[in-house]
Amino acid sequence: MNGSLSRLTSRMDHLYEFDREPVSPEKFQTGARFAGLFAGEHVAATEFVIGAFFVLHGVSLHDLAVGLLVGNFLAVLSWTLICAPIATRTRLTLYWYLRRIAGPGLNFVYNIANALLYCILAGAMIAVSATALGLVFGISIPSLDDVFPRSFGWIALTLAIGAVFTILAVLGFEKLSRFAQVCSPWIFILFIAGAVALLPRLGVHANFDNFMEIARTKIWNGVAAQGQEKFHFGHILFFAWFCNLAMHMGLSDMALFRYARSWIYGLYSSFGMYLGHFLAWICSGIMVAAVGREMHPGLMAFEAAGLAGAAGVFIAGWTTANPTLYRAGLALQVITPNWPRWKVTLFAGLTTTFLSCFPVFFMKLLDYVAIYGLVLMPIGAIVFAEHWIFPLLKINQYLAEKNKWLFNWKAASVWAGTLALCFFMPIHLFFRWLPGYVFALVVYVLLNIFKRK
Amino acid sequence: MKKILFLLLSLLSLLVCLISPFLYFFGRIEEKDHKLIFLLASAGWFVFATLWSSIRKKNHRLK
Repeated sequence: MNGSLSRLTSRMDHLYEFDREPVSPEKFQTGARFAGLFAGEHVAATEFVIGAFFVLHGVSLHDLAVGLLVGNFLAVLSWTLICAPIATRTRLTLYWYLRRIAGPGLNFVYNIANALLYCILAGAMIAVSATALGLVFGISIPSLDDVFPRSFGWIALTLAIGAVFTILAVLGFEKLSRFAQVCSPWIFILFIAGAVALLPRLGVHANFDNFMEIARTKIWNGVAAQGQEKFHFGHILFFAWFCNLAMHMGLSDMALFRYARSWIYGLYSSFGMYLGHFLAWICSGIMVAAVGREMHPGLMAFEAAGLAGAAGVFIAGWTTANPTLYRAGLALQVITPNWPRWKVTLFAGLTTTFLSCFPVFFMKLLDYVAIYGLVLMPIGAIVFAEHWIFPLLKINQYLAEKNKWLFNWKAASVWAGTLALCFFMPIHLFFRWLPGYVFALVVYVLLNIFKRK
Repeated sequence: MKKILFLLLSLLSLLVCLISPFLYFFGRIEEKDHKLIFLLASAGWFVFATLWSSIRKKNHRLK
């Protein structure tokens, strides 16, 4: 068992070999590049769904505006004060840093968990694209409570789109990435254009004099759609904060910030947060209100901008699913001995395509985003403790690396224990990660307190 | 020179994409005209931005 796991982890090391060495100063990137990266990554297909869901969950205008302002600010601070400082000190990806702390075995488990979560996210993006193409073929999209597909048309559509996305990802990930870079400014414009074009339908006058009244009474009116839970200020604040939990507190974005000149570059994440997770979410909220509160990204954009709008939703789903498929493929490559890159991408694509048929991942995207962050968050707490708290308390660091452990069982126990605790917490799913993070941090330190120098 | 031209044309296309819904909102154009303008400007953006991006990439490679 140990032997085969060792072989798997050494294969995994080989895959990530290209970024094993700390980033050298000549490879540091400019602030403008960070601003562009964040703005592009956080104005994506998910934004069509998330902002619209806030409306369906009956958020009031005040709760939305203040919740997003504060929640996004906390997210920016998390990147700036938690993720970027560790990345700029180590200049390593989370993969290599976690390997030193948790051992290659636990690192392997983390990668597999990450791959599965990526596949589900890419599946949801295929579903978003399907809402746009479904308009052409007159295929109705699932309702808000659907878990399983209800029509053959939906299954056929998602399978067809998933197959096309997978084939294109297999044929050339890099070309598609370049195409995605071209798309991202236009997709941002599509959000603004869509919202503005649908304002007359909501009754907003050309001089904007009744905009606030319409926003309060017809868009974020505080009335949840049937069967949807009512959201308040706290839900919005926490959602905006944890939406990219795996990236900031979970430290995945060490991969980006190792190229930053200083930890202050974490502030560039505000370009993603306030353009994507503020402006784009508000725009998609306006669009869903204007189409009769129907969760149908394709219809929202089609009504707002015609064919180009529907094409925009399709492209946004595609360009979001493509890198996600790539990352899932990269993580899965370790368990597929001697498989070439195309075969692994094909496998990840087929898994993703199968998952995309199930509307639950698309219709429960907010819950899924919460679970995604929650599952990976304890690893961030473990790394944070080892990096900052261990030296303060004079606890020996990197024991897994020094003792050549395959598994750091303390880290594994903290990860599993935190998830078990979060599962049973008697509070809303959105709020569980914060006590979970503190728990993971404290328990990991306590378990190691006797390993002092 | 070509690079700058394509960049300017792509930015112009994006600007038209942005202006079109405002013209419709202020009642200067009809909804169907807005959608047509948005479609054409979007096509312009994809053509010119792709050309600009490919020249930029080629220059990077030559360096």
